[in-house]
Amino acid sequence: MNKAVAASPSVLDAAAPPRMRRRGRSYEGVVRGALAASGAVVVVATVAMLGYLTWAGVRGIQAAGLGELLFGTRWRPEEGLFGGAPLLVGTLTSALGAVFVGAVPAVLTAIWLTELAPPGVKQGYRRLMEVASALPSVVYGWLALMHLVPLMGRVAAALHPAHERVGGEGLATASVLLGVMIAPTVLLLSLDALARVPQPLREASLALGGSVLDTAFRVVLPCAWRGVVVAVFFGFARAAGETMAVQMVIGGARQLPSTLFSPTTTISTQVVMDMQNARPHTPEHDVLFAMSLVLLVLSTIIVLFTRAIARGRP
Amino acid sequence: MSAAVGAPALRARRRRREGGLRAALTLLAGSLAVVYGGCLMYLLLRGGWKALAVSYYAMPKVGVQGEDVARFLLAALYYGGLASLVLRVAVGVVQRAAPALSLPRHTLRNATLGVALLGALFARDHLPRFLLFLPSEVRAGGGVGPQIFNTLYLAVLSTAVTLPLGLGAALYVARFARSGPFVAALRTALDTLASLPSIVYGLFGFLVFVVELRAGYSLFGGALVLALLNLPVVVGIAEESLRAVPREMEEASLALGATPVQTAFRVTLPYAWPGILSALVLSVGRVFAESAPLIMTAGTTISRGSAYSFDPFRGGETLAVHLWYVNSAGLSPDKGDVSAGTAAVLVLLIVVTNGAAARLARLGGPSGPRARRILQA
Repeated sequence: MNKAVAASPSVLDAAAPPRMRRRGRSYEGVVRGALAASGAVVVVATVAMLGYLTWAGVRGIQAAGLGELLFGTRWRPEEGLFGGAPLLVGTLTSALGAVFVGAVPAVLTAIWLTELAPPGVKQGYRRLMEVASALPSVVYGWLALMHLVPLMGRVAAALHPAHERVGGEGLATASVLLGVMIAPTVLLLSLDALARVPQPLREASLALGGSVLDTAFRVVLPCAWRGVVVAVFFGFARAAGETMAVQMVIGGARQLPSTLFSPTTTISTQVVMDMQNARPHTPEHDVLFAMSLVLLVLSTIIVLFTRAIARGRP
Repeated sequence: MSAAVGAPALRARRRRREGGLRAALTLLAGSLAVVYGGCLMYLLLRGGWKALAVSYYAMPKVGVQGEDVARFLLAALYYGGLASLVLRVAVGVVQRAAPALSLPRHTLRNATLGVALLGALFARDHLPRFLLFLPSEVRAGGGVGPQIFNTLYLAVLSTAVTLPLGLGAALYVARFARSGPFVAALRTALDTLASLPSIVYGLFGFLVFVVELRAGYSLFGGALVLALLNLPVVVGIAEESLRAVPREMEEASLALGATPVQTAFRVTLPYAWPGILSALVLSVGRVFAESAPLIMTAGTTISRGSAYSFDPFRGGETLAVHLWYVNSAGLSPDKGDVSAGTAAVLVLLIVVTNGAAARLARLGGPSGPRARRILQA
């Protein structure tokens, strides 16, 4: 799609007769220059931001070593130990859990909305989900802190009665919270993907004797799978990058989780927390940028992956 | 699918399975709606009373510079919003009861503005205590006055950057750019920005403003970072609505002798304006909601001396940051209530911005009233 748009000649330019273009040249030129400049500012700002963060991150990698940052298991910056594995594992597992908790119901609900829902429900449901997806993440975090943490604490106590380091704050709570947070976004995106499936395909399936659900799961979903997968990955990326809400419920223990209910930490959480204490231009400070560089690379990989999937769209 | 043609028992079993699956899906969708609807209702009811109850007694002044201006603005918003809601409902009821009755065109708007002005002038000390008072670190009874001020002020600051930059880039890409590497670079940049976690923006702002420039925490830094964060959304939606402008209208303008720039600013932009505005309103909603980038750029403190100052180079906490701060570092005994009130104000702001964005988006497009009015004129 992008390619087609970029290749189309500019409408106004092509349509204007040459004489007109010459007459107002000075004023026209200035305005056009300003418009192009605003585009240039966007590009420069992006490049500056990525370059600057990469530069700071590389210094951190030099200070700690890439192997230690990815696979070391002890994160104690105050003692000079920069093992980033607990952070990385926490980020990945909590986001993966969020996909199971949030994205799967969201996709199923999107199918219900496009194929089964009585007319009139869809618009209201959509509006509700738009508001839910725009709610601040800290609001979800606060709700989870008040109501989910005690609940999960009871579940954890029932499941691991002998374990002393399990409780309401931990990996499972963070996963559920993130799942609740990403579900509206995933739902809205997959709704769009499902709505793009051409109506004749559904009618053909129904005419062949397929039931509504046969049509939904054997025709509509296979047709829209690219869009749905992109939606789920988008949700994963959002969950992996979430900071403050997770910080409120994950417990903040700098260790690899031994059970689902153990407190642990994530990259973004730890970066925000440690950044308050680290002095600039020390290894402790640079290493935080190195970890966020890891997060950046992770999200870039996801984006490239989704772009590759989306490009195959017919 | 074909196996069931001649076997009634099999068909009955399939039908039962189909019915069960349908019921399960419906149940799932219903429970999802209940969860989110319940969350919203809970948030509004639990903290709404604290955040919205007007008081009979005049609230004493705190004695901070700029407090009067802040109270005036807040009261205008508060009473205006209340009046708009009540009047709208009332007009809806009356019109349903007596469809023949019609109001002159701007009555509703003028009445709302009038109530807002009257409220701001005469009742600005009767706002809920929670909306007026300064936060309190250790004692009960803290408010979120400065936080509301900061949140709205930050939205204005960030929009002041997003609007010209985003609109310029969108107009350039949609109407003036020749195909080429520059457009490709711009698109790549915007896609990259859209995919970054918000904490990365916060780190960048922290590195530039706090570490390198030694400017400390400032609203200005927060606004710039949030503007960058919002650019992809704004450029995307603005470009889409610019591209949706019918070619015939632009060609008509060009045929009348207007230059391309004149056409863009007098025909294309006015036609696409509702879509662009809805993008801006959505981006304001994100300013209300973000916390991580602001913690690292605008800070988590309210200083008594500059609580209501318009100086953009001071630090300041927004509502979302306050909600986090109260729960992770606050010591006040009523932090549950303070959080509930803060959350209710935030939810209200988000609901209002989302509703406004949806309304504006409906106004745009080839079938919206805006387009019809232009075509009639």
